[in-house]
Amino acid sequence: MNGDDLLTGRYDNAGPHDVDLNRVWLGVAAQVWCRRPGPVERAARRLLRSPGLARALVTTPSLLLGWVIATAVVLIAGAGFTLGTGQPWVALLAPAVAAVGIAYAYGPGIDPSWELSQSMAVGDRMVLLVRALTVFGLNAALGLAASAASGAAAAVTFGWLVPMTAVCALALAAATVTRSANVGVAAGLAGWVITILADQTAEGRYTAAVTDPSLVLPYLAFAACCVAVVLFATRTPRGTQ
Amino acid sequence: MNVEVTDLTRKFGRTRAVAGVTLEAGPGVFGLLGPNGAGKTSLLRMMATVLPPTSGALRLLGRDPGGYGPRREIRRRLGYLPQQLGYYPGFTVADFVEYFALLKDMPPRQVPRAVAGAIEDVGLGDKARVKLRTLSGGMLRRVGIAQAIVNEPELLLLDEPTAGLDPEQRVAFRTLLREFGQRATVIVSTHLVEDVAAACTEVALMDAGRIVFHGTPAELTARGEGSGAAGDAPLERGYSAVLAAARSTVAARS
Repeated sequence: MNGDDLLTGRYDNAGPHDVDLNRVWLGVAAQVWCRRPGPVERAARRLLRSPGLARALVTTPSLLLGWVIATAVVLIAGAGFTLGTGQPWVALLAPAVAAVGIAYAYGPGIDPSWELSQSMAVGDRMVLLVRALTVFGLNAALGLAASAASGAAAAVTFGWLVPMTAVCALALAAATVTRSANVGVAAGLAGWVITILADQTAEGRYTAAVTDPSLVLPYLAFAACCVAVVLFATRTPRGTQ
Repeated sequence: MNVEVTDLTRKFGRTRAVAGVTLEAGPGVFGLLGPNGAGKTSLLRMMATVLPPTSGALRLLGRDPGGYGPRREIRRRLGYLPQQLGYYPGFTVADFVEYFALLKDMPPRQVPRAVAGAIEDVGLGDKARVKLRTLSGGMLRRVGIAQAIVNEPELLLLDEPTAGLDPEQRVAFRTLLREFGQRATVIVSTHLVEDVAAACTEVALMDAGRIVFHGTPAELTARGEGSGAAGDAPLERGYSAVLAAARSTVAARS
């Protein structure tokens, strides 16, 4: 007989002398104290096949409800401005908002238990990857919804996805290398503003950064370089034996 | 041997925090003593696979932590309490311990009972549903200990575990350490010699990145007898005598 049997009433042949109160209490405490995973975490568990990774994902600061609502509010405001002014505000805002979210996805300045997390079986590189991809995906979805709602032209609606990839990669690389989310945010925002202003100077319009097809390849190459930096900065230290 | 360290070195710029340490540890409670800046935390962080060594060899639980697979296997069987325990203020005690149980890759079905057991072991049963932001420093330290022991580790590394604990909690904690020491290797970094005297079967004393003494607490105590070294307790006098001897040797060499 064990504590679970006592809880469920399956102790027909057991006498009172068999009761181990400690064990019973642990069974009760286990049921009462532990958190039931929510629907998002359950879905993440099935998808990632790792309960640890799923829990790490749902604790991402930039995936918490408040953050997601704030992101949505900024993009809805951008959609409103786009409708009112005819300027592609969503296309210009979405990469910046996503970069902030990515920089705040994981790292020593964000994760209070980062030092401890580094000694865990679920590797910090995997946590970083899963969190960054999810934040990126969510921001892309919100941006697309806002862009569609703003009635922007198709070229602008999808044009910002590639620059967003580059800006997010820059923010992630800066945050990872410097181990500071704030530096990542600053680098991402500064990079995006400089790009917009440079294209405005060269072509005479703000939207050049998101509509010029000749920039797609440089954006992707830049993003690949930033990802390589992230991979290098989070590489597995070897040579201990 | 669960821990085999050979000529391990760790440099931060030009500073050698750990300078060629060699030691072995099997089951039991191993005390790592030394003054501030002796290199205890750096050595412990290397054993926790958080900090890569600059040079030397390290084997933990019979595996080389340099490879991905072995390192993951080590980490499943490892418990680590860092000197500065960061925590999520909005988590409850149970949430926090459960989070790290999951990150240690424990089978999900075992997690609730293991979490409850670890929280009870550190005497925080009545605080299990309380948010971490409301706990005192001593209680947070016990939460840190609970997450370290939740997976019944074969190698338990504790950096200043008794900092902030009251005398009653320290006595309870030492009992817990001795229990763990019967089935696991427990390495405790501390500068409180009374913790070592009460709980450790072996002790190493570090100074300036080097191990200057390795033996039993009784042997360390013997070093202080008749030496005239400073200290209120016999073990403290042994500690002071060994440190003084090591430093005079270094001074003579230079």
